[in-house]
Amino acid sequence: MASDRAAFLTQMVEVLTSTVSFGERLNNMVHLLARHLKVDLALYFALDKTKETLFLNISSQGPIPPHMRVEFPLGQGVVGETAVTRKVRVVHRLQPEALSANAPLEKLHPNFHTLAAFPVADDNFLYGVLVLLDKQDRTFGAAERQSMQLAGLMLAGTLRQAIVQEEAKKRIAELSVLFEVGKALSATVELDELLERIVSTTAKVITARGAALEIIDRATGETRVSSRYGQIPAVCPALKEMFPRPAKTTGPPHFETQSVDADGRTHYCLAVPLTFKGQLQGTLCVYDKFSPNEVYLPFDPENRQLLITMAGLIVNAIENALTFQQVEDLAERNERMVQNLTVLQEISQVLLTTVQEERLLEMILQGLTLEQGLGFDRGVVLMVDEASQTLTGAKGAERAAQPSQAALPAALLSPLPQEVPVADWQIPLRPDQGALALAVLKKRPYHYQEHLKEPGLPAVLPGKLAAREFFVVPLIVKDRATGVILVDNQASGRPLESEPLNVLNMFASQAALVLENAHLYSTIEANNRELLLIRERMLESDRLAALSSLASGMAHEIRNPLVSIGGFARRISKLVEETSPLRGYVEVIQEEVTRLEKLLREILDFTGENLSYYGDHDLVKLIEDTLVLVQRDLDAANIKVVKEFAPLPRLHCDHRQIKQVFYNLFSNACQAMPHGGTLTIRTYPLEKEDGLYEAITVTDTGGGIPMEVLHNIFNPFFSTKDYGTGLGLAIAQRIVSRHYGQIEVNNEMGKGVTFLITLPVAKYCLVKDAGQNAVPASALKAPKGGRR
Amino acid sequence: MKKILVADDEMSIRLLYSEELKEEGYEVYLAANGREALEIVEKIPLDLVILDIKMPEMDGIEALRQIKERRPDLPVLLSTAYGEYRQDFATWASDEYLVKSSDLEDLKAMVKRYLKE
Repeated sequence: MASDRAAFLTQMVEVLTSTVSFGERLNNMVHLLARHLKVDLALYFALDKTKETLFLNISSQGPIPPHMRVEFPLGQGVVGETAVTRKVRVVHRLQPEALSANAPLEKLHPNFHTLAAFPVADDNFLYGVLVLLDKQDRTFGAAERQSMQLAGLMLAGTLRQAIVQEEAKKRIAELSVLFEVGKALSATVELDELLERIVSTTAKVITARGAALEIIDRATGETRVSSRYGQIPAVCPALKEMFPRPAKTTGPPHFETQSVDADGRTHYCLAVPLTFKGQLQGTLCVYDKFSPNEVYLPFDPENRQLLITMAGLIVNAIENALTFQQVEDLAERNERMVQNLTVLQEISQVLLTTVQEERLLEMILQGLTLEQGLGFDRGVVLMVDEASQTLTGAKGAERAAQPSQAALPAALLSPLPQEVPVADWQIPLRPDQGALALAVLKKRPYHYQEHLKEPGLPAVLPGKLAAREFFVVPLIVKDRATGVILVDNQASGRPLESEPLNVLNMFASQAALVLENAHLYSTIEANNRELLLIRERMLESDRLAALSSLASGMAHEIRNPLVSIGGFARRISKLVEETSPLRGYVEVIQEEVTRLEKLLREILDFTGENLSYYGDHDLVKLIEDTLVLVQRDLDAANIKVVKEFAPLPRLHCDHRQIKQVFYNLFSNACQAMPHGGTLTIRTYPLEKEDGLYEAITVTDTGGGIPMEVLHNIFNPFFSTKDYGTGLGLAIAQRIVSRHYGQIEVNNEMGKGVTFLITLPVAKYCLVKDAGQNAVPASALKAPKGGRR
Repeated sequence: MKKILVADDEMSIRLLYSEELKEEGYEVYLAANGREALEIVEKIPLDLVILDIKMPEMDGIEALRQIKERRPDLPVLLSTAYGEYRQDFATWASDEYLVKSSDLEDLKAMVKRYLKE
């Protein structure tokens, strides 16, 4: 017997340590027990996963057909009781109370007489119950019971090992799947590529026929990006319907459904939410578990668990990719910004190198159109004309066909490649005059797009500047719009993006500032020039006054002796006989004295003889009268006279003196044009700050006054003529200033000279009995575009 | 015989005027400045005065004013080397303003006109 037992033990160890699978080993054990204990049937009941039922797992009679399910709830029947008591139990048919609950066993072994059950358990766990059935009424000795217990223990150990091994295997499989997933996820940070990898890897590790992934926009809940792999059955619900959106903090951990397609085929889908920090970020879904034959399988709980685990990994990877993309976008934007700012800084540095408006405009247009600058196809600067309340074209340019390769500062200084003529472009500053006028009035930029057809925002561009799309930004200095910059990409048709508008705005504020500076500078310069001129004129008139007072002093001193000399010579001539040679001598004295006296009169008394000549006169008539006096000279020199007379009020003046002025001017003109020319005489009313003036211009075509002579023309002792006293213009000036007027000269070298005489009307003239050509002073207004 | 006063600081002018006027048949009194002229106006019942403007001690303008105070009816002719004051002479209430000339015909004609009656 002992050798029997030893053989059994040896066989048992051999079976349990064999290299076949655990199922096989279990099967062999069941057969071994049946043989060893010489029973008709050995059965193994395994504890199921619920740990509440024991079901028939192995039979010594061969495989159990699938339809045959024999089970005992824990604690019921001999099998159930053994599982609870964990003790060997042997019953006989003679003990009906023990058999009543064992009815299912009858099916397997009808009319058995002896039943032995013993637990397969170790100290901690119960794995199942072994049942031995025999049609004989028999007993089991102590040795046999020991064998049973030993077999139970050893089987338990083996099963435990099997479970541990199974779990370890599963863990390893799971880990390797996760490792695969991890590898796929960390291979890239590009979002699109990442999503592709995720769906393909997920489908592979789950062995699904298809997979899909969707990332939603956190703000709107709308789909942001999605990716698909393999076969995705159309009958399955859409991803966005699987989990409530917008994201809720708590949702179901997974979504599982099956749908039947038109061919009657059932499709399965399993989805998990991708949540980050408790918020739904998207959905990952797999479709139809793969099987070698064309059958679609549902997913098992392990697949589900794996998918949930993967979702955790995936969402982190996606989050990383999204963050990376954001950082990249930000970096790109920053880089562009830095680049733009560098360009702006370089341009503004160059802009600071000049205060000449014209040069600045060129540089600004270069900055706008150069590829190295802001890179627009075309740019135009328009400035506000405060007086007429219009926007007026200042300068425009187009991008060069052959772009300059020079670095920015140098390129800015190069001449404009292609100017766009805009000088005749004027836009009234009214809200109905389009985007450019609005940019000034509202002091804000506009992005005009033809296709938008914004009401109240017509383009209003001249034909040659027409554009489907353009930016217009105001030039603002101290909260005042001084002009606009207009740019477009009409030539190349590139769309205008919104980002350059910001850069353009910054550029415009720089441009506005430098243009304003230039404007102020030129105003100051003009003022300085005028001051200098006034100072020179004052100095000149001082010098003139000093000179003439010296001359007049001397002339007066000479006049008295001349009167005596001449007077006495006349007396002598009366006393001398006509035949006396003395008579001739005395007459010479008389004549010479008369000549000298005439000269003195010209110097001192050119103003005529009598006050009664002051009166209200028609200036045009005075001009006509004077023209008669010089008609012969005009004809002789073949000079054409052009008269442009506007009606004027009567002027209170000494008509003889005023005629003298015209006479002098006309005579000078004749002398300047000995070989013919045109004498243009214009009269017009002129509104000045201090009242109404009558203006007369006398223009010749005599080639102008040489520069070295120009500043001397009002000097009483200066003359370019070989005859005369040179007093012509000095006298004219003196007469005009006596009438509280001004005489100015505008010299155009190579062309001719224009004298402008302005005589005040309102203050000194009483407008009465206005004649044919005279109108009341109050009815007159300065003509538009009148000279300053 | 009509009495005429000639006031001029230039001796040669006084001499010329007095010779010419005497020749015309007038009784001529002479003064070298305004003050002397006033003294004569007070003593002598004059018919006409010819005044130079620029004279020492008292100029012709002041003398004119004072003569017209005493004898508003007495014609006073200004005879001067200064043509440019002609504009102002009306305000000085003189009867005539003559610029001196070696040709005395204008002067004599004017005197004759004033002394017709």
